[in-house]
Amino acid sequence: MNVSILSARNLSKVVPSAEGELRILDSIELDVMAGDSLAIIGSSGSGKSTLLGLLAGLDLPSEGSVELAGQILERLDEDQRARVRAEQVGFVFQSFQLLDSLNALENVMLPLELEGHANARERATELLGRVGLGERLSHSPRQLSGGEQQRVAIARAFAADPKIMFADEPTGNLDSHTGEHICDLLFELNRERGTTLILVTHDPRLAARCQRQIRLDAGRIVGAAEPA
Amino acid sequence: MTNLPFTRLLRLAARQLMRESHAGELRVLFFALLVAVTASSAIGYFSARLNGAMLLRATEFLGADLQLSGSLSPAPQQIDSGLKFGLTHARVVEFSSVIATDQDIQLAAVKAADSRYPLRGNLRSASAPYLADEVSQGPRPGEAWAEARLFAALSLAPGDEIEVGDKRLRLTRVLTHEPDRAGDFYSFNPRVLMHLDDLAETGVIQPGSRVRYRDLWSGSTDALARYRQEVEADLKPQQKLEDARGGNRQIGGALGRAERYLNLASLAAILLCGVAVALSATRFAVRRYDASALLRCLGLSRRQALGFYCLQLALLGLLASSLGALLGWFGQHVLFMLLGDLLPADVPGAGALPALAGIATGLVALAGFALPPLAALGRVPPLRVLRSDALPVPPSSWLIYGTALLALGLIMWRLSLDLGLTLSLLGGGLVATLLLGGLMLQLLRGARRLLENASLSWRLGVGQLLRHPLAAAGQALAFGLILMSMALVALLRGELLDNWQAQLPENSPNHFALNVLPAEKEAFAARVAALSSETPTLYPVTPGRLMEINAVPVRRAVTKEEGGDNALRRDLSLTWSAELPEGNRLTAGQWWQPLQPGELPGVSVEAELAARLDLKLGDRLTFNVGGLERDVQIRSLRSVEWDSFKPNFFMIFEPGTLEDLPATYLTSFYLPPDSERELVALSRSFPSATLLQVEAILAQLRAILAQVTLAVEYVLLFVLAAGLCVLFAGLQATLDERLRQGALLRALGARRSLLLNARRAEFAVLGAASGLLAALGCELVSYLLYRQVFDLVWAPHPWLLLLPVFGAALIVFAGTLGTRKALSASPLSLLRSA
Repeated sequence: MNVSILSARNLSKVVPSAEGELRILDSIELDVMAGDSLAIIGSSGSGKSTLLGLLAGLDLPSEGSVELAGQILERLDEDQRARVRAEQVGFVFQSFQLLDSLNALENVMLPLELEGHANARERATELLGRVGLGERLSHSPRQLSGGEQQRVAIARAFAADPKIMFADEPTGNLDSHTGEHICDLLFELNRERGTTLILVTHDPRLAARCQRQIRLDAGRIVGAAEPA
Repeated sequence: MTNLPFTRLLRLAARQLMRESHAGELRVLFFALLVAVTASSAIGYFSARLNGAMLLRATEFLGADLQLSGSLSPAPQQIDSGLKFGLTHARVVEFSSVIATDQDIQLAAVKAADSRYPLRGNLRSASAPYLADEVSQGPRPGEAWAEARLFAALSLAPGDEIEVGDKRLRLTRVLTHEPDRAGDFYSFNPRVLMHLDDLAETGVIQPGSRVRYRDLWSGSTDALARYRQEVEADLKPQQKLEDARGGNRQIGGALGRAERYLNLASLAAILLCGVAVALSATRFAVRRYDASALLRCLGLSRRQALGFYCLQLALLGLLASSLGALLGWFGQHVLFMLLGDLLPADVPGAGALPALAGIATGLVALAGFALPPLAALGRVPPLRVLRSDALPVPPSSWLIYGTALLALGLIMWRLSLDLGLTLSLLGGGLVATLLLGGLMLQLLRGARRLLENASLSWRLGVGQLLRHPLAAAGQALAFGLILMSMALVALLRGELLDNWQAQLPENSPNHFALNVLPAEKEAFAARVAALSSETPTLYPVTPGRLMEINAVPVRRAVTKEEGGDNALRRDLSLTWSAELPEGNRLTAGQWWQPLQPGELPGVSVEAELAARLDLKLGDRLTFNVGGLERDVQIRSLRSVEWDSFKPNFFMIFEPGTLEDLPATYLTSFYLPPDSERELVALSRSFPSATLLQVEAILAQLRAILAQVTLAVEYVLLFVLAAGLCVLFAGLQATLDERLRQGALLRALGARRSLLLNARRAEFAVLGAASGLLAALGCELVSYLLYRQVFDLVWAPHPWLLLLPVFGAALIVFAGTLGTRKALSASPLSLLRSA
């Protein structure tokens, strides 16, 4: 599987600030092969989330280029990038980002329904069963614990069979025990489905479970580690 | 994903809406629209039906819905066309003729009517002069009715015979009331009513006779409109088509103003609810930034995300508007039931139109006021899922205010305020908003310095306003708009009622006396003064016709269109007076000055007539009076209260100009209702004088005004209720921020009373500022409206200075009530939401 599914060339992000221009990311070069798992680590403010946003096409770089599943993202307009996201990308967020107004099942059904999937309900039910929430389908996010909410979010992220999964501090809001379980689940599903995983974290133990790691400091890649 | 079908988006939107039905901002939005549409359609129904009822009354003044009149007998197709549309037809022919008995003769105004006359209103008659009258069908062929004064003039009794031309008719009853007499006060001669079938046999109508043919029509509005359309094009110059509105000044004025008021009131209600919609739509949008970003992350395009939320609001809007229209319909029904005693029994229904118009109004208001904040939802960057500080690019303020103004303009226009006025109100409002908003910002900045030594609760409360001065100014403007709308509607109500009351005070003259001989003038005045406790002013009257304007014959001087003016086709009642009569007001020129040598004597012309004939100060008019020509020059123009029931004149001459000519005297006076005996005695003492009772007309007019007044009162209530609802909506919209602040302060250990006082301080300042803005705005807008719409004289309203106090009290009360939830906000909620 030596196909690059995600690559970044000379990627920079510059934002204006009171003291002149602020370079958040500086000349990032990166290649991710299909089926790989990559951890982006670094301290707060090192530019991890910014990089994730650029790689996933949520934001556009100031310089450089991102190619995701064969599409040069900065050549697409926002709606075309949205289509790429819908077809190729899944997200897991630190703050879960479930819709309060929908129950667990409906949250998982949402991406399937948006695509007009014929048996969205069955598929979502099955996925929720897979993440261990088969008995809590009709619970609203407020009725679920943080760990349970994140499981719903993971089920939702995998629902539309994405090729690439972006996870932004998926355990950041959870205690270490629950975080452990969520990680297990994320990696298991990732393996089962052959998804490429891009994980932003500052937890070295979590990062260590990925095949590759890159460390960011002040917007630059300062270290890379191949799997042991 | 780009081919997400509409139906699926709609289904998703509907489900989302149902799930979120408990959300506060959606409820506020729903209720704001509900109130707007309920008020708008209830007012719509109420005024449409009252209008119908009033028009029905007003049509009585014409005796019909529509009248085709002229000095020519109408062409057969002009009648056939009406019958073809299913209209009911009645014909009346009016002419002057000498009535003869065996002993005496008297000139009379004869009316020959067919059996269907009148189509609207009733004839009333009595069995003998000055006895109680009753509603009756008109005279049968071979019979005639006459007014009491004809009985007096010819010493007749019921049952006697009279001759009209070659035809002998038996006088069966005394005519006391014709519904269509109102427009015809100055018909000096007593009325004789006969059947149309007898007309040919009288032989009175010959080619060249001065005759007025009136063809009366009644029927459905639709059929009338079609008839009017068909006939209007081929109208001969001698013919005129008029409806109750055009046909009668008194009713036309009252109806027009009432309608404009009702429309203005519903505009105020809609404006109020528009503010509420805008406030709650903003809250709706802000609360959905995260969800929208997520949907974008899941691959929804900008347009689809926007569509998803627009559909939700559209569904909500449709639901609220339909329910509102239903409630409006139901509400006015209840109202009409409650008012059953006061209103005529036959108030016509108004169909579905007001309901549909109400729904449309609701949707336009929703679009205008909710779309701009909603547009932000389409622009939420998907990056927000990673960084919660990523905010949507704010929509251009031009877009926000432009859309709202456009929606408001459309609604204003629909409520038939004309385009020019709509533009000037919108433009004025815009300028005022900018100025007042700027003023408000300055005031808030000024408050900062004052605050340094204030207590903690004041610093906290007012500090809240100062933290976002722009938002606070916006809030003050919104509340100011609410207070202004309510004050304006209340203000206009008072003015209109005063105006109507002044127009028809309880002891308005209810009798006219015509043809008082110069020799009897003093004696007559003395007798009337004794009866009515007021000394009447007697005006000399001599008939004359306007022949030339600036030496150009009238027929050529005025265009064909103006040639239809009644004032030119008949003799005018000319008078002279040293003083400007009561109720007249000079609009141009000066009242009499000493004549310079070589100068023509002066005349004062009624302003509307002058405008119609394009007469200016200094123009020379030539009159034919009693066969003699008199030249005069226009010295002044006057406005006249035509609805005052006092003698009014188109032309008033300078004293000395007409005094050599024969004249009689004219006056009006008030007699208490049960003065029949006095009236008979008066009539006997002055047999040449003609006494005319207008009590019945006055009563009709009063009944109409009473209905309008009632409508105005209830509409005011509607608007006040709408205003209060909006106030709550506006406060609800700021609840999130308050909840957070409340929880934070509680977490820091603040007591409940501190929170309460801080809130009161904030609301008091906000309310006072809003009140001040409202007072200024109200004066500005009322000035515009008085001049352009209601034709009222504007004067400052010092009581508006109380608005700041009232505003502070109202907003403190409503505010503490509306945000009491924030007082008990648990500090825990703050931790949870972090």
